[in-house]
Amino acid sequence: MRKRLKTKFLGIEVNSPLVLPAGIMDMSFSGLSVSAKNGAGVVTSKSLTLEPRMGHKGPVVAEFASGLLNAMGLCNPGIMDGLTEINQFKERSDTPVIVSVFATNTDDFSELTKHVNKSRGDFLELNLSCPNVFDEFGIPLAASKDEVFKIVKTVKEISRLPIIVKLSPNVYDIVEIALAAEKAGADVLCLINTVGPGMLINTKMVKPVLFNKFGGLSGPCIKPVALKLIYQTYSAVNIPIIGMGGVTIGEDAIEMIMAGATLVGVGTAVYYRGVEVFNKINDEIIEFMNKSNYDSLEDIPKLEKLNE
Amino acid sequence: MNNRRTLKIAKIETETDDIKTYSFKYSLNAKPGQFIMLTDFEGGEKPFSISDCTEDVFSITVKRIGEFTSHLFQKRVGDYVSIRGAYGSSFFISKGKVLLVGGGYAVPTFYFLSKVLKENGTEVTLINGARTKDEHLFSKKFNGLGIKVINTTDDGSFGEKGTSVDVAKRMLNNQRENGKMFDFVYASGPEMMMKALQPLLDNVEYEFLLERYMKCAIGICGNCTMDPLGIRLCVEGPVLPKKLVEQLTEFGKYHRDASGKRIKY
Repeated sequence: MRKRLKTKFLGIEVNSPLVLPAGIMDMSFSGLSVSAKNGAGVVTSKSLTLEPRMGHKGPVVAEFASGLLNAMGLCNPGIMDGLTEINQFKERSDTPVIVSVFATNTDDFSELTKHVNKSRGDFLELNLSCPNVFDEFGIPLAASKDEVFKIVKTVKEISRLPIIVKLSPNVYDIVEIALAAEKAGADVLCLINTVGPGMLINTKMVKPVLFNKFGGLSGPCIKPVALKLIYQTYSAVNIPIIGMGGVTIGEDAIEMIMAGATLVGVGTAVYYRGVEVFNKINDEIIEFMNKSNYDSLEDIPKLEKLNE
Repeated sequence: MNNRRTLKIAKIETETDDIKTYSFKYSLNAKPGQFIMLTDFEGGEKPFSISDCTEDVFSITVKRIGEFTSHLFQKRVGDYVSIRGAYGSSFFISKGKVLLVGGGYAVPTFYFLSKVLKENGTEVTLINGARTKDEHLFSKKFNGLGIKVINTTDDGSFGEKGTSVDVAKRMLNNQRENGKMFDFVYASGPEMMMKALQPLLDNVEYEFLLERYMKCAIGICGNCTMDPLGIRLCVEGPVLPKKLVEQLTEFGKYHRDASGKRIKY
């Protein structure tokens, strides 16, 4: 049954279109293994930085009616320890790994890329869009098409791995950013990162709930925003898209594919449906394919592209 | 889904110079072994084991170990704090005759467990250990429960001299000779205490209450996963059964800090 979910992504065979995105259960090799065992076709590491980062103090997450707010603060053990975890994962699993990295300038991205080149990772993701480190680093790089172009071009020249660019939804025109990334040599676009940022207030104590005050929004409430941005981007670019944002059930994933995504990220849904969520959604996609008589993922139709 | 509750501290008991018990009037419906996340929206947010829980009151027992707990120690009765939970797995409530092995500030969670076991008709023996008399916890509270308690300190300043594991070893050996083994063993204490206890428990089922650096407490951030199973200690733990503990290669070897970096014990 699940064979029908197999697909090729940039020449690499994947067992499911579902991707574990950066930041979810991915601190360690064993965390990555859990998603792979439970049906994720591709897993992504925590966004790694040159030096270890402890992240923000808590609360780092806040639950509300239709989603989650989070500000982890890019905690990670640093590129060297992070790659050790990834290599240990690859010793135990055939599941392709996206190595996500974060930096604030071209030089640091270059240095990170050189380390990743020596790892057993399959793809390199440039996280240009973390919304939760504003106090430290200011507006994300993904907000500037010139910065995006410069970084992607530099990294493309030295990267052994295909490059995925993670885009922010919190920009005026995502299409011009996406086009800049494509022009600079990006192999894949990944969108969307969390929305906002937003905030919640504790009314009894008159305090922001998150220690960082503001945090990125995820969960079912952001799906319509994600679909719109993926569709707009798909209409404009010629490289594959990993679509994500609020995917919780099989039909959400189908919508992402119809909007233009080749692979689909599932993150916050782990909170709603447990670590089994990947296989649950795999089964729901197959059920949809059966009902609609689609033999493979490639048979699922996409929307007609927007006119220029 | 939002289970945050902002509550006034109803009672503060000073247990030792560095340990206080905070009680809240709230129907938490927690089970022994579970934990809450507590914050004041100023100093961070940390997990705390529940040391007692009745129909309308629950308590946590806190050791002052760092910035967060020092900040918490400034709070007074009537001050607000905000909690979420109860989270995580809970202890199996065994029948028959059970042994509880506790060490240091991880002992108070056994107060809640002992009460529930006692109500269940289980015969409870508790080894309550600490380094010194000054750090020994809850001896009066446990005496009030009508269970068998053996107090022990590393330096002999209170109860027997020796560690909890020394006493457990003697008791388990005696039992083996008599042919009357405990039906179940529970441990809560420093990880190296439980690591030392583990080889003594080949012939008996057990559960350990483990600690890892927790952040989200809802199973998504990955900071508290344990190798190589990827067990999320905030969801599948903090209480883990023998068959899982035996498979954890990191148990007693290393843990991860707030960055996810491995720190050796």
